[in-house]
This record gives sequence, C-alpha cells and structure tokens, in this order.
Amino acid sequence: MSCIEINQLSHHYSRAEQVLKEVSLKVPEGSIYGFLGPNGAGKTTTLRLILGLLRQQSGEIKILGKPFAPHREALLSKIGSLIENPSVYAQLTAMENLKVWQKVYQCPSTRIEEVLDLVGLGHTGKKKAGQFSLGMKQRLGLAAALLHQPSILILDEPTNGLDPGGIVEMRELLKTLNRELGISILVSSHLLSEVEKLATHVGIIHLGQMLFEGTLDELKKRQQQSSGIQFDTGDGAKALQIIQSQHAAAKLENGQVSVPIHDRALIAELNRQLVQAGIPVYQIQAAQNDLETIFMNLIK
Amino acid sequence: MQLIHSIQSEWLKTRRSLAAWLVIIGGFFIPGLQLIGRCVHHQQLGARMDDPRYWETFAGNNWQIMSLFLLPMGVVLAASLITQLEYRNNTWKQVHTTPQAFSTIFVSKLSVILTMMLQFMLLFNLGMFLAGILPSLLFSDVDLPKEKFPLRFFWDTSYNFFICSLPVIALQYLISLQFRNFMIPLGLGLGLVIAALIGAEWKHGYWIPYAYTPYNFFIMRGIKMQATQAVNIHHWALGYTLVFIVLAYILYIFKRDKG
Repeated sequence: MSCIEINQLSHHYSRAEQVLKEVSLKVPEGSIYGFLGPNGAGKTTTLRLILGLLRQQSGEIKILGKPFAPHREALLSKIGSLIENPSVYAQLTAMENLKVWQKVYQCPSTRIEEVLDLVGLGHTGKKKAGQFSLGMKQRLGLAAALLHQPSILILDEPTNGLDPGGIVEMRELLKTLNRELGISILVSSHLLSEVEKLATHVGIIHLGQMLFEGTLDELKKRQQQSSGIQFDTGDGAKALQIIQSQHAAAKLENGQVSVPIHDRALIAELNRQLVQAGIPVYQIQAAQNDLETIFMNLIK
Repeated sequence: MQLIHSIQSEWLKTRRSLAAWLVIIGGFFIPGLQLIGRCVHHQQLGARMDDPRYWETFAGNNWQIMSLFLLPMGVVLAASLITQLEYRNNTWKQVHTTPQAFSTIFVSKLSVILTMMLQFMLLFNLGMFLAGILPSLLFSDVDLPKEKFPLRFFWDTSYNFFICSLPVIALQYLISLQFRNFMIPLGLGLGLVIAALIGAEWKHGYWIPYAYTPYNFFIMRGIKMQATQAVNIHHWALGYTLVFIVLAYILYIFKRDKG
C-alpha cells in the first residue's frame, strides 16, 4: 500500500512557467523514498503541494489512502515535515521551540526531551536557537517533525548545511527511524550518492517531469543493462556495421560503438574482426555505468 | 479546545520577542518619565496633591503624549512584529503543516495581539498609578492625593482607547499577514499615523481610523472637533475593525502560498 500517492499533479506559478507537468508518484508504506532531481527540478514544489502549503491546481494527492484537502488536519497529525531552511524561533531555546509545537500537537511533554536527545541537542540548555549552527537548526527542525510520533516524514534536503559527520549521523538516524519505528520517509535530495546510501525506493524528477520511479534495485538493474563495452575506432559507422551483424543491440554514441557484452573472449573476437576489416581500434573500455551516469542520462 | 492550545502556542512564541519588550517598555515609558519629573521637582507637587481631580488631570497628561503618537505607533509595531516572527524565522511553513485549521491559526494570532494590547493597557494604568502615588511615599513633603483613586474613570478611559486602537490592530494585522517585508506594514502604518495627525482637524477626519486615539483624547479633554461631533468614533472604530478583520481573514484563507 502507498502512504503517499500523487496522480497527474501539475503546477504553475505563472502562466509561462509550468513547474510540474503531470507528476505521479507512489511512496510505499514503510519505505525510504529518495526524491531525486537537480536544483529547480520541482522537488520542493511537489513536497509543498503534498503538505498543502501551495494551493493544488490540478491532479490528485492521497495520503494514507485519503484525499489530502478534505482530511487536511487529520492527515497532518500523522505527518512530520522539514521543508527547505529549518523553522526555528531564534529568540527561544531548543526546548522552548519544541514546547511551541507540543502545545499544538498536544503530545506528552516528555517527548520534548526524548526527541532532543534523539537528534543530539539534549545538551543545549539555555542557548538560544538563533545562536545554533545551521546543522543544529536542521536537527532541531527534525526534532520538531518527530515530536508527535508521525507515521510519515517528509524531508526536503535534510542534509543541507550539515558537515560530513552530520550527514552520516542524519542518514543513520533516518534509517533507524524507518527500521525501528516503521516511519515511512519521503526525502528529497539533489545528491544521488546520498539517496543511494539511504533510500529503498527512488523517484527521479527533472524539469517538472518524473523520469524514473522504482526501487533502488530496479535502478541498479537499469544500470547493469546499460553497462557494456565501448569501441573507439577510426570509422564508427563501419565498426557499427560489423559489430551489429553479431550483436544487434550495438549502437553508436558520440562516435563510439557501445555493445552490452562482458565476455572477454567475445570482446577480443570483435577487436580482431575490426582490425581485419582495416578499422583502426584506438581504445576498448568499459562503458561508464555508475548511477551518476544513469542519472545524467535520464535528465539529458 | 484546539483554539486554546493554539493561543498557548502563539503566546509562547512571543517570549523574549521584540513585540513583548515593546509592550512592557511602552506601558511604563510615559509614566516612568512622569515619575522621574515628579521626583526631581517634588517640591512643586504639594498643591497638586490637593486637586479634587488629581487623578483625572494626571491621567490626561499621560494619555496626551500616548494617544497622539506613541499608542498608534506602538500598535503598528506590535501587530506587525507578531506576524513578522513567522516570516523572520521561516516558520510559516511549519505553522501551516500543523494539524490546525487555518481559521484557528488566524484567530489565535489575532488573540495574542489583542492580549498584548490589554497587557499594555494594564501596565500603562499600573505605571500611572505608581507614578501618581510614589512621590508621596518617597518624599515626606509630598502628601498622598486627596482624591480617591477613580478606578471607574481609569477603566472607562482605557476601554475607549482600546476600542479606538482596534481598527489599527486589524488593518496592521491584515497588511502584515500579506507581506514578508517588514518595512511594508511598518511604512504604511507610519504613513497612516502621520496622515491621521495631519488630517485630524479635517471635518471628515473620521474616515482615517488611525486618528481615533487622538480623537478619543480630544473627547476626554472636552475639546470639540468637527469629526468627533459628526460621528460616534467608537462605533466607526468597531465598524472598521469588523471590515478589516473579515477582509484579513478572506485574504489569508485564499493566499496561494502558505509558506
């Protein structure tokens, strides 16, 4: 079952600027869904629409099987969120900040200390949130999102402003929350490496359109399918003809012939045939097939 | 019940805020200056303490400076600062993703501003009382006022000024909910306060809601103005308040971007 389901969601800020174009996505319950895309792809707009911060123009948003708009308050009580820059009252301490939200959520006051300890801010005492580093503010924002024990967390670039140690801590914390408390997490990022280490499911968005959605394994499978060998030759077209006669899947990319094969004997055989046909072979190399390349190919 | 929790939450946000300090400092500012002046010149207080309308005269002196400029300006600042708390701290988006109806958020914020206004009135009256009586306790040559403290007069005066401040609160709330830039509500507020002072003598001056606190002072002192004789400014203040609050609510509810 999906805890968040979006169908055909489109949005524009002005008539000329269509930010989202019929975006559909499904976040499976219990998953960590990495919402990936370069800056300006439409990630934040999508998340703000899910949370009702922007007025929905078209499409459908369902959370826990219910349409968002008519059940807004009931659904928001089950969601914790952290959108863009952390929201903290600068003149209040970490504890006072959480007290503000505790009053609204009406959760036990003991939760305040629990979540502060969970995000590593239990020691901040009387220090005002305005004096916190960006990383500490981000963690305080996460503490606020966790205060009412939500079943869904929606986080927009939560590792922004964190140092490498902080990024690892945040990642581990999110994995623990997902694994031990069963919280479904929708987390946006523009860093593939980050999503790769954290997510179980991935959605890739670019220029307001979804380009891929599936499990991380499916993305990796696509990576394997696109892997192979590239022949850099003196005559790409002629080389393609020779190679395609034996491997129909071969194709010409940027003057080089790509073939989805891994067998070393076959590679040697193809090389021999090319040389015999008088085509100079300058280089034989494994095609770049990491997730970064797949991502770049998807958003090209 | 949700509204009460929401108001409690909103009240917590004002802790150590500029608006909260403004209420405390604003409440004691004029009475504090009066107290210092009276302590320095305590020898001249003797005859005044025998005045059968001692408290009315003293309150009038305090309200004069307060009502003409400081009160409307203070209301402009405080009402704008409350919503500015959310803009400056980037917290509107967090507020709007809590399980509260937008109406609850709107009402609770307005309630906090009104409560701060009441708090200001209370502190100002307390300040006046202390400034009126402390010289007698501090200096042996100053007798206690002959007149019994006219609680009813102080209550009625504060009530009338409170009513006259309501349209300013409502309009500033409306403006500050719409603009992230603090200078817009502040600039508009200051502009309207100045316009009200310039236009106070105009026979249609009652069209400018920011002129109601000076008008109330003129009524209190028995000074006849064309505008105050033409209409009941307290009724106009309540009418304006209702219009501005309804408008502010509609604009807030239909705001496309809520964080």
